[in-house]
Amino acid sequence: MATVTIKNVSKAFGDNVVLKEFNETFQEGEFVTLLGPSGCGKTTMLRMIAGFEKPTSGEVYIDDQLVSGGKTFVPPEKRSIGMVFQSYAVWPHMNVFDNVAYPLTIQRVPKAEIREQVEKVLEIVHLSQYAKRLPNQLSGGQQQRVALARALVAAPKLLLLDEPLSNLDAKLRESMRFEIKEIQKKLGITVVYVTHDQTEAMAMSDRIFLINRGVVQQSGTPEQIYNEPINQFVADFLGKVDFFKGEAANGRIAFPAMGGQSIAYDGPRTGKVEVAIRPESIYFAPDGVLEGTLEAQYYLGDVDDCRVRVGDTLMRVIANGYEYKALREGQKVRMNVRSFMVFEDNGLLEQMLKIQT
Amino acid sequence: MKNAKAAQKELPRQTRAPLITKLALALVFALGAVIIALGVSGQRAYDTSGFSAESAYGAIYALSKDVNAAWEKQLQPQLAALPAEQRAQVDEAVRALLDAAWEGANPGSAAEVESILSPVPEGERTALSYKLLYSAYLVNGPKVSTAQKKEIAALSAADLAAFRTAMLNGVTDESAALPAAAEKAADLKGQERQAALMQLLFTSDGAAASTESVNTLKKGVRDKVKQLDAFRMIARGEVGWLWQLIVSNSRTAVLVGIIIALDALLLTLLMMWDKSWIIDVKWIIILLIVDFLLLFQLMPLVYMVIKAFFPEGSFSLETFERLYTYSLNLDALTNTLIAAFATMILGTLLAFPLAWLVGRTNLYGKKFFRALFVLTYMVPPYVGAMAWLRLLNPNVGTINQWLRVLFRLSDAPGPLNVYTLPGMIWVLTSFYYPYAFITISRAMEKMDPSLEEASRISGGSPLKTLFTITLPMMMPSLIAGALLVFVSAASCYGIPSIIGSPGRVHTVTTRIVEYVSLGQQALNDATGMAVFLMVMALIILFISDVVLAKKQYITVSGKSVRPAIVDLRKWRVPLTVIVSVFAVIMIFIPFATIFTTSFKIDVGKSMFQAENFTWTNWQTVFGRTETMNCLKNSLIFASVTATVGIAIACTMSYLLQRTRVKGRKIPDFLITLGSGTPSVVIALGLIMTMKGNFGINIYNTAYIMIIAYLIKYLMMGMRTVVSAMSQIHVSLEECSQIAGASWLRTMFRITGPLIFPSIAAGWFLIFIPSFYELSMTTLLYSSTTKTIGFQLYEYWTFTSQPMSCAMAFGILLFVVALNFLLNRLTKGEFSI
Repeated sequence: MATVTIKNVSKAFGDNVVLKEFNETFQEGEFVTLLGPSGCGKTTMLRMIAGFEKPTSGEVYIDDQLVSGGKTFVPPEKRSIGMVFQSYAVWPHMNVFDNVAYPLTIQRVPKAEIREQVEKVLEIVHLSQYAKRLPNQLSGGQQQRVALARALVAAPKLLLLDEPLSNLDAKLRESMRFEIKEIQKKLGITVVYVTHDQTEAMAMSDRIFLINRGVVQQSGTPEQIYNEPINQFVADFLGKVDFFKGEAANGRIAFPAMGGQSIAYDGPRTGKVEVAIRPESIYFAPDGVLEGTLEAQYYLGDVDDCRVRVGDTLMRVIANGYEYKALREGQKVRMNVRSFMVFEDNGLLEQMLKIQT
Repeated sequence: MKNAKAAQKELPRQTRAPLITKLALALVFALGAVIIALGVSGQRAYDTSGFSAESAYGAIYALSKDVNAAWEKQLQPQLAALPAEQRAQVDEAVRALLDAAWEGANPGSAAEVESILSPVPEGERTALSYKLLYSAYLVNGPKVSTAQKKEIAALSAADLAAFRTAMLNGVTDESAALPAAAEKAADLKGQERQAALMQLLFTSDGAAASTESVNTLKKGVRDKVKQLDAFRMIARGEVGWLWQLIVSNSRTAVLVGIIIALDALLLTLLMMWDKSWIIDVKWIIILLIVDFLLLFQLMPLVYMVIKAFFPEGSFSLETFERLYTYSLNLDALTNTLIAAFATMILGTLLAFPLAWLVGRTNLYGKKFFRALFVLTYMVPPYVGAMAWLRLLNPNVGTINQWLRVLFRLSDAPGPLNVYTLPGMIWVLTSFYYPYAFITISRAMEKMDPSLEEASRISGGSPLKTLFTITLPMMMPSLIAGALLVFVSAASCYGIPSIIGSPGRVHTVTTRIVEYVSLGQQALNDATGMAVFLMVMALIILFISDVVLAKKQYITVSGKSVRPAIVDLRKWRVPLTVIVSVFAVIMIFIPFATIFTTSFKIDVGKSMFQAENFTWTNWQTVFGRTETMNCLKNSLIFASVTATVGIAIACTMSYLLQRTRVKGRKIPDFLITLGSGTPSVVIALGLIMTMKGNFGINIYNTAYIMIIAYLIKYLMMGMRTVVSAMSQIHVSLEECSQIAGASWLRTMFRITGPLIFPSIAAGWFLIFIPSFYELSMTTLLYSSTTKTIGFQLYEYWTFTSQPMSCAMAFGILLFVVALNFLLNRLTKGEFSI
């Protein structure tokens, strides 16, 4: 319904640059997630779209209308945006109905219509029977849904969500994820979602922007980002990954730390490389190319989390849960690698992975 | 099996412990009851004795010891040495003298002597008659001049023995020669002579009774006839040590007994509530604090209320009727209500925008303004009153002079007059708006900014957001702040006493003080007004502490506590100018006036006018020993109050924050109650109950002042320490204990250092108001316990305004310096 265009936006608080040269267009009806560790600048970007912060340089357009930039600044109340805050910001002195009705009251919508709209949106968030309650009589999850209803009631073109699920417990968080996604699909609105939880981002997003230290590291669909990370940071931030230093030559990558054991490689890189392997892409096989000793295994129910010593290094292997009984600690095992990512070894790994807060 | 055995072994101990505790409690309770009973019986004995002071019993006991000693060590050996015939003569003479002495006091009482002596066995009868005569002569015997006493005292041991023999010889033989020291008796004849000689004999006794006891007895038993009872009691040794102690302290005994019994009862209740029968040391500490507060806070207040309803011992509403039927009282009442209400409205109207501008906008210099407005909070109210008086005096007020020049008015007084109700309201407002400012700005800065952002993103303009979100959410704090201003203004004494009295604008507090100075008769009116003021204050305390506290929206968010700052844009400069002008009028001009006045000779002229500048005001004021004594008193009282107060505050904070011990809320409640009670009421209650009529006499002492300060200001310190302790998570202490540190070590190494700034702040928060206190001091001071605040008040009223301005500015400087010190000491974390 709405597009958001961000042109060369940078933001600094004093000397502290929190966002550098953000450049992107969010499409109509797209679910965009700004993902990154805390302090990476994602919330600042969101607040600039909302109008709570002004960009130090650059421009923000909503539906091709300039809202921030140069001398133009449209205050938040004039932007017709819905927003859910991390703390929910449900007003404690108003009941659920009044909270949700607030945006419509401001627009001087006739009373009957307000009632109709509020009831409709409360239906969507499953809060119909709580309309007369005060916020302090609601659970955290219910308050969160009040905030969502309030953000949706005026049928905004754009919905901003600032870590809306981070204060909920794990079970509720998981179910809310899908509810939010469902509502977005049903209403077809553009959503910009900020989170530091990669699972949340993967589950909901059409497109993820992974940000670190004020710079977008990579953007793309969840699948692209997970499977084709552009650098070590991206590989490391999404999912679990271990890095191994190796030598690529003659269609193979040999690992000096593993006593020279090697795996097949048909990619373009040669020489010193860094191989990122996700523990779940290693599997035990009698004819595996890597040989090692099973040092420890932890039974987690659905999976068997193993540590295998290969030469001087320890490899993490996530095997199927049922393999736990078949394996003995101390026994020799052989493994194959289903897939892996190869990066140039520029010696900056440590620095890249470091999260600045 | 092992466990079962252990459990079996444990069982008897667990059942025995409660039994012992219950027994001990019962014993303590019984002890209390016994002490009460003794006290009551002592009281009754005293009541029936007809003596005029309980101390008579102490004197009787002391004298009875002295008389007995004199008999055994001096008289008896000497009499035994006499020949039997002479001895009989002396005995007879003594008996005759005794009868005469009693007849003299109460005609016909010689028969009583007979009835006292006859039941006594033959051998002891003479001894008793000598003792009776001795005790009678102690009080009412023939006069022995100081010169004679000196002469006798100067005699050597041998001469003394000769002197005594001569006395006895003189009694039996009228012609016997008398030594020089007794020559005055030589002219006397017959029984008179015998009496004088016996008295000299008694006086010559080395173990003579102390004149102090004699004087106490004289004062304690004024009635001549009753004195005879006292002599009998002395001679027969009727009053034992314990009995005299009980009778002469019977009120104290009753009070102590009640406290002990109450404590035992309270402890039992706590234990029943807790279902644990092991005595916790914490309970003892709680009980001690509760005892103190019961005695010095609750009892006076309750007594005052009872006195108000039972003015002459029977129920009557006359006291309250006089509140509105007597026009002076009614005026005071309406003035107080009007002034407090107007101050509340004005103060809140000033405080809210200021708090918003300073706390939530990008006003220039907002930190400075904030500090400035809060500064007023620690200025003694009467100093502000003095300043405004200087400015708005209808004749010579500086602002009036300016206005007259500015608008070319005639030289007639005016146009503004501070000696009116509106004038007083203005001064009250200028002093009490910071109370609302502090309450409101604290709440405002604690508000979660996303609540307002949510309104903005929902389409609400900043103004709309202010009125629909910020203001309603602030309402409880706003009302609490407003009520605080109301009750502070209503119970203020300093300002109305300085401004109202000359202008005949009476308020409840000034009336109370005046009534107290008028003495016993007017006390009824004073209690009526005090009860009215107290009830009003307590209702407001209840509303803001209980009703509003429940309505308080918890807006403290987990994340960003920094509130959103509103950009004032084009209003930034004009608003800064407005706030600056306000600050200049409210703070700068008054204080500058005090400063300049302190150097003036003629207050009506400018300091810079020729020959109107002088240092003498400062020199005179601070050169006087009296001022220095008052300053010393203030410093001592305030330090003691602050030190005792902070010790109680720390104890209470620990009990409240770190233990779940039952009953810890009782002292907390009492302390809150005390601080909510108007100062004048506290002082009046203490006056009425602490002058000995309840067994405690601390009237006119430093103690009564320190206790009054403690009751009023203890909570300031306690709240500070409690809030500091609540912010230190228990895990910090638990971690230290896990690391092997003892409880004491943990307190000193972990908790202590962490809350030290708050402890220091709490100390100063008690010290500063105690230092310049006026309302309670006015009622409680004595010539030796005057404080600097009262001294200043006296200077202002009776001596000279420039001198009092010098003193006021000195106090102001001292308080500001203290605040600066506090700020440094706590690394900027605290200042008032």
